[in-house]
Amino acid sequence: MTIRILLVDDHPIVRQGLKTLLEGHSGWEVIGEASDGAEAVEKAKDLNPDVMVLDVTMPRMNGLEACRLLRQECPALEILFVTQHDSPQMMREALEAGARGYVVKSNAARDLLAAVDAVSHHRVFTALNGRNVAELR
Amino acid sequence: MKLRILLADDHEIVRRGLRALLEKHEGWEVCGEASDGREAVEKALQLNPDVVIVDIGMPNLNGLDTTRQLLQHDPHFKVIVLTITDSDQVIREALDAGARGFVLKSDAARDLVSAVEALQNKRMFFTPRVNDLVLAGFLEKGQTVSRNEAPKLPTLTAREREITQLLAEGNSSKEVASLLNLSTKTVETHRSNIMRKLSFHSIRDLVVYAIKNNLIQIELPPPPPKTPTGPGPAAAWAVPVRSAVRNRNGTLFGSTVCRWVRLRRSREPIF
Repeated sequence: MTIRILLVDDHPIVRQGLKTLLEGHSGWEVIGEASDGAEAVEKAKDLNPDVMVLDVTMPRMNGLEACRLLRQECPALEILFVTQHDSPQMMREALEAGARGYVVKSNAARDLLAAVDAVSHHRVFTALNGRNVAELR
Repeated sequence: MKLRILLADDHEIVRRGLRALLEKHEGWEVCGEASDGREAVEKALQLNPDVVIVDIGMPNLNGLDTTRQLLQHDPHFKVIVLTITDSDQVIREALDAGARGFVLKSDAARDLVSAVEALQNKRMFFTPRVNDLVLAGFLEKGQTVSRNEAPKLPTLTAREREITQLLAEGNSSKEVASLLNLSTKTVETHRSNIMRKLSFHSIRDLVVYAIKNNLIQIELPPPPPKTPTGPGPAAAWAVPVRSAVRNRNGTLFGSTVCRWVRLRRSREPIF
């Protein structure tokens, strides 16, 4: 079964980079993109993705606010944050907001595929710089 | 013959996106990639690209100093600077450093191809805001200097700027010495000179200086959520420095910097 992924980042260049990485993986499909949190919520309701790859800092509605809203609007959706913020505090906020995964953009090329795989199977995946990758059931 | 482009950005995801964008253009080829400024200079000298695209906020050597070094080696290098901010200061520094193109990262998908085309045709490319600033600069020439103009800060040499960035990134003097092929004693001497020139007393002052002067860039996190009972105590957010990297022992310095740079709920830095 194909895993359907929605990409959300305010930088089109970053979305392009994420897309080239993800679409190399057989069985995964990027079904849409959004450039802010509000658009992410609308598109999630329209397209019903399995996984959302979500940035934190975005205009109009940031990723944390979008995540909290999506927890109510799309409870089956798994959310993976891919962000600049290499911060345990931010990661805690993200998980408390309802995300299943959190990776840092500087290591996205290394961690993203494993992270999407984990969250698509409803497992937690977190990775900050210098800290052990935690993959929890 | 294809136009050869070197990409320098510390995020592989961004380099992938840039490569995908640029290689759609027939006749262009990404001939190499670098993940920091120092590597960018080495690869540029090796590969002799037609255009170099550098992110401003890179570790070890930031994009502006990379531009300066490239042009010192060979003034024919054509550099496009990519940045997350188009503040007046950043624009001025990019122009002073010799960049021929200036593109906001958020607009790279729209503007970067035009920027590379411009440089390919021996023209420059800047965002409209830069054009406005340059024009304002021309119009101000010849006018009397305001009495309120702040006194100029002491200027650091290129080497001192390099060392300031590396120290602000959390490297020890020994690590800086190793990165720059200098003796530790030489680095310590530079460090003392820097601290004396800028009248600093601690590494914290240096970090703040590095952020204010775009030697390292930070991205602000979103504000904390409002508490249901109304405004609570001011939340302090640690701002992770964007160019945070491991030092050579693999230890992340970021936690140290995070303690020094705090934001109030208003998101204004407490410097």
